[in-house]
Amino acid sequence: MRPEIRALQEAMRRADYIAEPSIVTAVHLARAMEKPLLVEGDAGVGKTEIAKVMAALMETELIRLQCYEGLDVNTALYEWNYQKQLLRLRMGADETEADHLEGVIFGRRYLLERPLLRAITRETAPVLLIDEIDRADEGFEAFLLEVLSDFQVTIPELGTIRATHRPLVVLTSNRSREIGDALRRRCLYLYIEHPAFAKEVEIIRAKVPGISDALAVQITHVVQGLRARRLMKPPGVAETLDWARALVTLHQDHLDADIVSETLGCVVKDQHDISLLHAEDVETLLAGAGAG
Amino acid sequence: MPATAPAPERHLVAHLARFSGELRHVGVPVGLRDEIDGAAALRFIDIGDPEEVRLALRSALKIPRRWWAAFDRLFDESWRRAALPHPARDRNAPRIPRRWRGDENTEAPLARIRRQLDERTGTGEAEVPDADGELPGYSPRALLRKKVFDECTPDDLRDMERLLERLAARIATRPSRRLVPSARGPVVDVRRSFRRSLAHGGELVELARRARAVELPSLVVLCDTSGSMDACSRFLLAFVFALRKVTRRTEIFAFNTSLTRLTPWLRTGDVTGTLERLARNVEDWSGGTRIGECLLAFVDNHLRHTVRSDTTVLILSDGLDRGDTGSLETALLAIRRRARRIIWLNPLMGDPRYRPEAKGMQAALPHVDRLVPAHNLEALEALLPMIER
Repeated sequence: MRPEIRALQEAMRRADYIAEPSIVTAVHLARAMEKPLLVEGDAGVGKTEIAKVMAALMETELIRLQCYEGLDVNTALYEWNYQKQLLRLRMGADETEADHLEGVIFGRRYLLERPLLRAITRETAPVLLIDEIDRADEGFEAFLLEVLSDFQVTIPELGTIRATHRPLVVLTSNRSREIGDALRRRCLYLYIEHPAFAKEVEIIRAKVPGISDALAVQITHVVQGLRARRLMKPPGVAETLDWARALVTLHQDHLDADIVSETLGCVVKDQHDISLLHAEDVETLLAGAGAG
Repeated sequence: MPATAPAPERHLVAHLARFSGELRHVGVPVGLRDEIDGAAALRFIDIGDPEEVRLALRSALKIPRRWWAAFDRLFDESWRRAALPHPARDRNAPRIPRRWRGDENTEAPLARIRRQLDERTGTGEAEVPDADGELPGYSPRALLRKKVFDECTPDDLRDMERLLERLAARIATRPSRRLVPSARGPVVDVRRSFRRSLAHGGELVELARRARAVELPSLVVLCDTSGSMDACSRFLLAFVFALRKVTRRTEIFAFNTSLTRLTPWLRTGDVTGTLERLARNVEDWSGGTRIGECLLAFVDNHLRHTVRSDTTVLILSDGLDRGDTGSLETALLAIRRRARRIIWLNPLMGDPRYRPEAKGMQAALPHVDRLVPAHNLEALEALLPMIER
């Protein structure tokens, strides 16, 4: 293992992010190659967290663009400050030089920077998180291409603005649709799976202070048992942590059938799934936990 | 671990190119751009550590999750073994494991399918007019629409395909959340209004407007190609072909005892040719059915990225299933929760005496939005408005 990669893994661990080699390698490459990192995986496996941890590690700003259906250039890239522009027009009504006036009102002063533009105009390179890109329209991806491949933005009235420092870009997707090839090709790719047993125990210990080792192991057993079943919404790490915190708040130091049934809503967040888990299922899951 | 004697870069790049070629050969999508990224990535890692090389290449070549198994296998077999410590190896011949070297020797089921296709599409010209005395080539549209697929002549087929395309072109659309410029839309477009006002010295004389864009529906088709469905699959596929041109996104899967994604095969738009290619490549074409297991396979591997809240899922099957119905129900439930609607097309429903009593149909009914017949063109035509909204 390269020393840089090992160092990165250690640093991420210190920031309470327990990263597997696949994650660290991908993040290291994204930084070294200055390419965006496309992260896919089930809900709650820690995709968004990568960007947050990296921003903390690099001691830089995290700029976040949350995608949604209908997201357009005005909200993602830039917008003109119309009020100020109109005001300036009124004030300069007697100004005879139209060219000059136009130059003024379409200047940087009247430009409202939205996340993408902000990310490339910062003095120090920030971390740019483009969250849930699969929620945006396919057309929006095409628009991202210019920004992500050349790190530049073209504003018709102003010209092309180039990045002074390339930001570290992290795109996340829940795979609610396939990301277009053109965009995918411009990124490095990382797929995060649910963590393995030991890693999940470690995550609980790191994130939930004051939890007993036995309880962390038991929780992990049950959660991993649940994932192995065919649930509509299998629990992610986020659910595991919710549950662990709930149990610590309730001063529980071990799991039994009653407490599992009472707090199941922390892990299984779907009515249909809950109805599938009968009492004996809980027993089976716990029996597995006890054996481990 | 320190790198074992760093190999010359050129050598490594050639090796990577060969490895990428082998990946492509087994169907893993790897482009030239990916290879370049791969080569770049190797400079930033410890190439003496095979695990690190594997992780780095998987990321830089952008290997999708569903190809990981194939990638890992090939990496172990090809990259790792052929890797740097054996420079003596003949590097000009890409080493391809035998089991991937084409499958021309599995002709047996193929021949049967070809024959079946030939029988139906009629390669012989000297065809006798149908029993009902209809002359070949004489096919008034009205009659053609009601004709049951099993009884069609090759000429009918061609006419039907043309008709299908016309039908499909009528498919309507749904408004999106995206806003596009429009003459009299409900939303004021400030940016364009302002730009326009400059023509009048900053007076807002008229407002530019935006309206919701119109978006084509997206469609996922799951087509039963088992023996009992043989007569229909051709028409249903032809119909789906025609639909592809007017929908935003169409994904097609065939199933019988296993599930196959057909979408990549349908580029040509040539029904007969494609069907033959399919028959050659789909395992067990015209065999039996295990609907439940196949739909579960769809749910596990494809549901998330093919079905969205605006997607209509069409299932073409007669519901004559050999598998257990529990898995069918689970699968339909999972699809139901993601999709806009599920429409089940059943060719048996053309018979007025038909009741959906097959075990599979019974299990499916509560989870399906519509159960519609699919035995002739008229039935398919009736389907169009259901896909629209």
